Amino acid sequence: MNGFNIHRAYSIARKEVMHILRDPFTLALALGLPVMLVTFFGFAIDYEVKNIKLAVSDRDNGPASRRLKEIFSSSGYFHLVESDPGAGPVALVDSGRAAAALYIEPGFSKKIKGGGSVEAQFVLDGSDNSKAGAIMGYLPGIQRSALSKLAGTQVREPFSVETRFLYNPELNSRWFTVPGLAAIIIGLLAILLTAMTVAREWENGSMELLLSTPVRPLEIMAGKLAPYGALVLAGVFFVYLLSRLVFGVPFAGSHLLYLAACLLFVTAALSQGLLISVVTRQQQIAMQFGMITGLLPSMLLSGFIFPVESMPRFFQYLTMLLPPRWFMAAARGITLKGADLGELAVPFLALGLLSAGMLTLALIKFKTDLE
Amino acid sequence: MNPAPVLEVRDLSIKFGDFTAVDNISFSVNRGEIFGFLGANGAGKTTTIRMLCGLLEPTSGSALVGGLGFEDGGKGIKKIVGYMSQKFTLYNDLTVGENLDFAAGLRKLEPAYAKKRRKELFELIGFARPLSTMVASLPGGVKQELALAAAMLHDPEIVFLDEPTSGVAPSSRARFWSLIRRITGLGKTVIVTTHYMDEAEQCGRIALMRTGRLIALDSPAELKRTAFPGPMAEIDFKGGDAAAFISGLAKAAGLLELSPHGMRWHAAFRDKAAMDAALSALPRSASAGLIQPSLEDVFIRLIEGAER
Repeated sequence: MNGFNIHRAYSIARKEVMHILRDPFTLALALGLPVMLVTFFGFAIDYEVKNIKLAVSDRDNGPASRRLKEIFSSSGYFHLVESDPGAGPVALVDSGRAAAALYIEPGFSKKIKGGGSVEAQFVLDGSDNSKAGAIMGYLPGIQRSALSKLAGTQVREPFSVETRFLYNPELNSRWFTVPGLAAIIIGLLAILLTAMTVAREWENGSMELLLSTPVRPLEIMAGKLAPYGALVLAGVFFVYLLSRLVFGVPFAGSHLLYLAACLLFVTAALSQGLLISVVTRQQQIAMQFGMITGLLPSMLLSGFIFPVESMPRFFQYLTMLLPPRWFMAAARGITLKGADLGELAVPFLALGLLSAGMLTLALIKFKTDLE
Repeated sequence: MNPAPVLEVRDLSIKFGDFTAVDNISFSVNRGEIFGFLGANGAGKTTTIRMLCGLLEPTSGSALVGGLGFEDGGKGIKKIVGYMSQKFTLYNDLTVGENLDFAAGLRKLEPAYAKKRRKELFELIGFARPLSTMVASLPGGVKQELALAAAMLHDPEIVFLDEPTSGVAPSSRARFWSLIRRITGLGKTVIVTTHYMDEAEQCGRIALMRTGRLIALDSPAELKRTAFPGPMAEIDFKGGDAAAFISGLAKAAGLLELSPHGMRWHAAFRDKAAMDAALSALPRSASAGLIQPSLEDVFIRLIEGAER
């Protein structure tokens, strides 16, 4: 890139800062929106399922069945609802008034006393996958506790699996979602802001005037990206404060590494926005493009909600082209696990390569369009 | 005036894919000239100007702008020309000072030099408002003059103005043209495109373009003389039924051109004898007077001639 002139790039950047300062809406959008959205979604998105309504049909009504019900309710996850004696527990699940049902057959207590094998039926509403999955996760623990309490003896299992959760011992889902949310929102914002600013320059014809001066395309791009990069990084800082102070997300790793990850990710998002604006050249279309490519893949394919590992092989490869996927991994790694640079090499390298790739594409498209 | 050509275009064509926007044109422009491009939308005026500013490279042929060619991709040309586009002038959400600082920054002008130039140009255009004035609050004419100042901040040899007065009030247009004359008075060359005939009259020479071709190139007076060697009459039927007489007039011997101008008709003839013969056949209620052909008449005749 011969002839890159920092003064000309600086002139573009300074002009862009003026535009931003004169437009309080952009400023508010860049600084306020991430904080607002992280607050909203941080409180709203919670994978933990509590207060599950459990319809119980106790046909036994003996001491053992009462114990079993007590075990369910004292677990903290379930809220027991007595079903109408005539209708049966499944009717409550059918009508949506309960998410699960427990059916205890007559003679339950007697059989246990006699030392025989007994069964209690557990019915689950399978229409809500994630809820059902969470409830399934609670069952083994309850069963173990029921075995020991009802049979009165410690059950001897051939072997037992002890689970300990590293990094997030309570599996607090906010620790997990908030850093990811920040990635999505900041990425989206960076894409939108740059896509709009360059498209505006095309739309109102000023790009041609810029190009009639000795200024080079690369200088225009650098000058355009720098102020928005700074603006979005300020947004990152506010989101960081919010997640630490309000959501109590722990920070196990290095702040410097986190800053580097943010810088890389913001660069990738800005490059993506630039590419969109160079291709679309119209603010309206650039905005829609930015929304779709900035929001959907990062929500669905980045591992924010659905783990990348459980996707079909093709999608696993596809996600490698998405900057949020790499940032998501890096951010969670740094904040929760305290990952060091060696562990982050792959996401960092990927983010760098993706940024460079998109910038090059944008530059090539920009240059060929001029001819 | 120094007649050394500051701009030389030879056999120049510009193609976008299969479409030929500029088709094999040649001309040269002298230092200090006001050189006008006249033509309909899509005639190739803007494309030619964009090429001469270094924004586009010629597909074939050669163009020397201030002695510089396209060997460096137009970079050298961009340094010695100023360009004012028809679509965009100044950023509305910035102040006058910020806009000019930006223009100076893009051209890497020394702050002291930029300040000196700003002062000179403000004097030239007669701008006396504070630098902190928001561009959005300026009248269209003043904005246009400031845009010209921004395009001239680096003291270019050649200034390209692409329809500089479109959408500007008539009084401001006259002001802008007197500004153009002052600029060429300083030894600069101005190349301008326009839709307005009255503006074209003020150019030293006019290049008439149609579908990418140069169909005429001369001074306004000379264009008129070539297009209409004989006299021209303006005929007013004063509300009488003209249709019958018009069809007769159209067949008159020695008629070069007959075209409606509002309620009146312009008729050009080969010579005075032909005119007298044709006009004597008109009804008594009609009146006819000798007029000078306007550039619009020339334009119509040349364009129709090219279509025939």
